Amino acid sequence: MVNPVLLIVIPLGGAFAIPLFAFISKHLSKYISMIVALAMLIIVGVLIPAVSKNPIVVKIGGFRPPFGINLVVSPFSLFFAGIVSLVGFLVSIYAIKYIQKGDIDKYHLLFLLFLAGSVGVVLTGDIFNMFVFFEILCISSYALVAYNRDKDGVEAGIKYLIQGSVGSAFILIGIGLIYGLCGSLNMADIANQIHSVNSPLLFLALFLFITGFGIEGAIFPLNAWLPDAHSSAPSTISAVLSGFAIEVGIYAVVRFVWTVFGASNLLHFLAGLGILTLLIGELSAFKQNDIKRLLAYSSIGQIGLILFAISIGTAESISGGLFQVLSHALSKALLFLAAGYMIWKVSSRKIEEMKGIGVRMPITSFCFLIGAFSLVGLPPFIGFPSKFIIIKSALLTHQAYFYFLVGAVLLGTVIEISYFFKLLQGIFSKTEETGIDEAPLTALVPMVILTLLIVGIGVYPQAINQFLHLASHNLIDKMGYIEQVLGAL
Amino acid sequence: MRKAVSFILVVIIAIGIGLSLQEVPFGKTKSEVRKYCLEKGIEQTGATNIVTSVVVNYRGFDTLGEVTVLFLAAIGLSAILYREKEGERKNRRRSSLILYTGCKFLFPLILLFGAYIFIHGHLTPGGGFQGGAIVASGFLLVILGSRSWWGFNRSKMKITESLSGLIFVVVGLLGLLYGGHFLLNYLPKGIPNELFSAGIIPIIYIAIGFKVGSEITGIIDDMIRSG
Repeated sequence: MVNPVLLIVIPLGGAFAIPLFAFISKHLSKYISMIVALAMLIIVGVLIPAVSKNPIVVKIGGFRPPFGINLVVSPFSLFFAGIVSLVGFLVSIYAIKYIQKGDIDKYHLLFLLFLAGSVGVVLTGDIFNMFVFFEILCISSYALVAYNRDKDGVEAGIKYLIQGSVGSAFILIGIGLIYGLCGSLNMADIANQIHSVNSPLLFLALFLFITGFGIEGAIFPLNAWLPDAHSSAPSTISAVLSGFAIEVGIYAVVRFVWTVFGASNLLHFLAGLGILTLLIGELSAFKQNDIKRLLAYSSIGQIGLILFAISIGTAESISGGLFQVLSHALSKALLFLAAGYMIWKVSSRKIEEMKGIGVRMPITSFCFLIGAFSLVGLPPFIGFPSKFIIIKSALLTHQAYFYFLVGAVLLGTVIEISYFFKLLQGIFSKTEETGIDEAPLTALVPMVILTLLIVGIGVYPQAINQFLHLASHNLIDKMGYIEQVLGAL
Repeated sequence: MRKAVSFILVVIIAIGIGLSLQEVPFGKTKSEVRKYCLEKGIEQTGATNIVTSVVVNYRGFDTLGEVTVLFLAAIGLSAILYREKEGERKNRRRSSLILYTGCKFLFPLILLFGAYIFIHGHLTPGGGFQGGAIVASGFLLVILGSRSWWGFNRSKMKITESLSGLIFVVVGLLGLLYGGHFLLNYLPKGIPNELFSAGIIPIIYIAIGFKVGSEITGIIDDMIRSG
């Protein structure tokens, strides 16, 4: 059996080793980050069968919870870890040729720490440990957003840094409050005794957690940093930020609301917030003429949909939400990666400048098209089954409130269709010869793999349905979670 | 307006910290976890400094993360301050002879004190982070008092930084190999209160001391070079 702690330790060790390898050659670092991400992907693959049977509780240092730190590798958390390593691996292949400027070994070092932070947040079962990994995730993304060191990038990085730091401070205060009230930092232990605590401070703590993690999770109105950060970062970083970083933020919010606090009375509020996020994201995307800003706003819309789906609160809707997480991660990573070389070739982010690029870069543009269709929710791509499950499960609740919100989701989809078609129309229009050629192989391989995944899962959603079902039941089963962790004597 | 907003934020944070501290009774052990660490700490980890046993052993994984956060801050800073070419060096005023001699005299003593703090982390107050910060302050003194300082040899610092980080990870992985738990304290615990006790704790703290010392020095060096 592979110990799941390796999922966190391997990227950390790789990051510490990169400066040593940089003495031999700075170019070694890009292969290190690729190999490390591949290793993570393999470990996740090995863990899936075991975790599907029984969640694994890892005791760090051999101390039993709640006295030591523990990881909880359940289908729900492993699902997110799988997305992180899959998208991380594909993006690291893309980065081999794409990242050429600047201090490339630092880029790869930050990238590995970014992966370590994301996996750490989803696997840990300890609120302070989550905070630590959350900080690793956030600080590495601040630096990566500003990696190009142009005016846009630095400005976006600083904006992100300020908002993110406020969020982190909120989380830390929340942790302090919880530790004061419950005397424990272990999630299962807190969940176990939180109902015997009767204090208005509990609500304050929950509010602080939702606000703090909501900033990273880009929940409206906490997402002002996102359009700038996602559009000014190098495209590889936009792909991972959109692909899984905001989902990790949502994971943290969901973990706290469901598992730690068990605050099911908050779900209607979160569902409404999700729809608000969705509509505002889609409406803002509609009027963009910068391709990356458009994609960034569309990420806000998608994250709203995910939050809405999970907040409906039935097992099926959570499955749908998780399906949407996967669908968004694959599609948006693909879109940002494809957009990366389009921008590179025309050296502009303006949509007007992209006219006719579909003829000059056929494979890239075709992948872009698939990604856009999937995001909108057209069959037979992955976005169709995920949106379908969400809408179906919302209708099955038979509550007028959710009927109303489903209407808003459909409205959002219509807006989404209109702006993506406007964009695609430009890309595939006819134009005179220019000296633009296809993206290099290192970029095409990850894009084609993503495309195949999008089509493959879209045609055959049963492949992952069962695992999603396990994951959603795992999230709902709070007592089971407590038992697994505290019973693991 | 901006001042008002920042003032309100500060007040919120201050109230939050105040409220969270209010719930923690000083010197009393209301919580299971705290009681457990106080009662079993020496027996289980061999460190007489309970804070160290919590920081490096019970919650050693957090400490690995915190070391990484500092590493990240240093790397992020240097990535942002990175220049393709070395910038123009500003003329700096040379320090006086008294300052120069004083710094030269104090520097080894400060290093020794820093090393003492992190080597004795499991016995006396302090540890890797504190000792490392003291070491870095010694290097800062060298910069302030030097007569011709144009930056440290960064490659040596990078090696120290990376190696000590790797030592932390490898020590943890050996625990996984020997006992099936990452960061397991697998070395003999020895007799409490002796220098050679507490198993892997002193090794990790020494690694942290070197890492923190070289990182903070690197941050200072980066900032002075760029500005």
